[in-house]
Amino acid sequence: MTKTDPEIRIPDPIELDRIEEERLRAVAGLAPTHAEGTEYAGFDTVGIPDRPPQTDRERDVYTLSEGEMLLNMGPQHPSTHGVMRLIVKVRGEVVVDIDPVLGYLHRGIEKLCENATYTTVLTYVDPMDYLSAMHNEHAPAIAFEKLYGIKAPPRAEYIRALVVELNRVFSHGLMMGFLALDMGGLTPILYSFINRDEVVDMLSAISGQRMLFNFFRVGGVNWDTSDEFLSRLGTWRANVMKNIEMNEAMITENEIFTARTKGMGVLTGDQAISLGVTGPNLRASGVPFDVRKAHPYSIYHELEFDVVTQSRGDSYSRYLQRIAEIKQSIHLIDQIVDRMPHGPVQAQVPGIIRPRPGRAYGAVESPRGLYSVYAISDGGPNPYRFRMRDPSFISLQAIPKLMPGHLVADTMAIMASFDPVMGGVDK
Amino acid sequence: MDLELLLGIGRFLLATTLLLLLTVPTAFIIIQMEMKIIAQLALRYGPNRIGPRGIFQSTIHGFKVLAKEDTVPDQADRGTFTLAPWMVYMAAAMSMLVIPFAPGAIAADFSIGIVYFFAVLGLSVVGLLVAGWASYNKYSLLGGLRSAAQMVSYEIPLTLSIVGAVVLAGTLSFSELIAWQHEHGWLLLWQPVGVAIFYVASLAEVNRTPFDMVEADSELVAGPFTEYSGMRFGFFFFAEYVALFIMSGILISLFFGGWLAPWPFPAQLDGFWGTIYGAFWFFLKTYIFVAVAVWLRGTLPRVRVDQLMGMAWKVLLPLALVNLFITAIAVVVFEL
Repeated sequence: MTKTDPEIRIPDPIELDRIEEERLRAVAGLAPTHAEGTEYAGFDTVGIPDRPPQTDRERDVYTLSEGEMLLNMGPQHPSTHGVMRLIVKVRGEVVVDIDPVLGYLHRGIEKLCENATYTTVLTYVDPMDYLSAMHNEHAPAIAFEKLYGIKAPPRAEYIRALVVELNRVFSHGLMMGFLALDMGGLTPILYSFINRDEVVDMLSAISGQRMLFNFFRVGGVNWDTSDEFLSRLGTWRANVMKNIEMNEAMITENEIFTARTKGMGVLTGDQAISLGVTGPNLRASGVPFDVRKAHPYSIYHELEFDVVTQSRGDSYSRYLQRIAEIKQSIHLIDQIVDRMPHGPVQAQVPGIIRPRPGRAYGAVESPRGLYSVYAISDGGPNPYRFRMRDPSFISLQAIPKLMPGHLVADTMAIMASFDPVMGGVDK
Repeated sequence: MDLELLLGIGRFLLATTLLLLLTVPTAFIIIQMEMKIIAQLALRYGPNRIGPRGIFQSTIHGFKVLAKEDTVPDQADRGTFTLAPWMVYMAAAMSMLVIPFAPGAIAADFSIGIVYFFAVLGLSVVGLLVAGWASYNKYSLLGGLRSAAQMVSYEIPLTLSIVGAVVLAGTLSFSELIAWQHEHGWLLLWQPVGVAIFYVASLAEVNRTPFDMVEADSELVAGPFTEYSGMRFGFFFFAEYVALFIMSGILISLFFGGWLAPWPFPAQLDGFWGTIYGAFWFFLKTYIFVAVAVWLRGTLPRVRVDQLMGMAWKVLLPLALVNLFITAIAVVVFEL
């Protein structure tokens, strides 16, 4: 046995961190964090940043009048859809103001992508919006194909549309469950996950992975349809409407659910447009904008489907909108399977793609709205700039506008109706 | 010393010990039911590893809670923080004293058992409020205040809903009430509105879904219990399930004939076998209502706090008053 010298003290990494932080704060001219032994900052000041306010908005939020209290929800909270943090200013139970704090799940995906080759970018974007990984891959694939000037073969386009619509079905299905869960309904989320599992098993049969599929390639898709995929698709198609209706039966007509969603968090069409909200949240406010119809990509111009809208723009409309879109997606899947041509699924591309200098934009309709990618090529093997517009990030802008006046209980319910995914928000 | 007094003290000690011991398996059974029934509703298996069909899962949970570290937050008020679980638990355990399990198996057959019951069960709100205040946590504070508002509001329709039954039967003692039901038929038939009000209000009173405002895990993490761990949390947990059992027991004693069998041949027996027979029917009926409460939890979302209060004051209270008024008039007119 080796003997350790008791004189050598291994420094505590936490302590080192603290010393380093104090040093950096001193350099930046900030006040030191609370010293050892002083009293905990306490009840009244929890959540207030320990620096002077940087903007007027920040000063408004963090100035408390008589009878107001800051309530910190998240990043560790049972229902913040990942690691979102909301600082809620409450007067009793009524929300006065709300300040979302983002960035707890920031992984620097854009920067990672700028250091990756065009082929490997498609593997990095998967964990962005982890409930719609197929859509995440679709937009860069479109953008890079424009940059490189190739087209995917028709069968590849059909397979893309098929998997993307399957992804949309389970993503919207999960939203039904999460919305109910945030109101205390325990069962619908489990039904949603049963439905999701069928789709995910199917997609893993075609792509090899359950969640982060890594299925799209520049100029095609990774695999052709397999027998297992097709047989699972048939089984799923036979049961899907029954399963969704079973879930719907627990939620849609429920008195408590309707009382808590109808008229809650009303977002008008004008507001939604000025905030940049897209996708089902925009259509629930009555604006018939769908990227698949407005700027058709892939094969959507060949397919027949409706852009469903709701009129009221409240939480309940957003919920109904998802169900209507599930039905449209299933209608699309039927057409795609019916018309799928034979042929190759991958165009000829070199191992390392070096597009000519230029810029390209690819936009898709993800389950959360307009998800787009803007890529600039400088002629090298990796994108010079790679920028993603994530719809959940934009949807979150609407939440502080809608919350004031509602109760604490409604913050989570309204947020769930927007269906944000923090992986996408924080990138 | 008087022998009778000694016997009385001995009987009291025995009864309280038995009741305190009874709370433990009751909580275990209901927790097990909750895990298993909700799992079945959600198309899952539920616990199936410990014991045959997983029946000892909740027991293991109970021991796990005992083994966990018991923490007190730095800034919490240590004295009241420690006292709060005890208050909630004792409120539930004390109200068990008057529950008529079977003929001859009532720990204390007061002549004002019903009044005692509601007085003592109402004490648990003090414990929740203290827990919410002492924890030094905003979620706890909101949860504690919600619990105070909710339980105080719902106590009024809850109590008023049974006054009709009391007026009809002309007694405040549980055993006499059951004797009246033996003679005239279950009070369910006489007081259908009262049953409905009582059931809804009792769910709110014991903080069950859809009225589990106090915990509201998607908003307030765990309400007043947020900062509790170990056996202190276990006491809250136990008290909650024991309260559910007690409420179901009181519901069936008041309206569903208590220990009486649902048929008249015979509705009750005398002697030792009568106690067994009565206890069988009491526990069967009680657990049916417990199962219904669990079923509701697996099915319904939670109402919002203002809707909850609105329901107490705008719907249940007027309904209970009208019910009482009509019952009282009927008693006078038909000389029941």
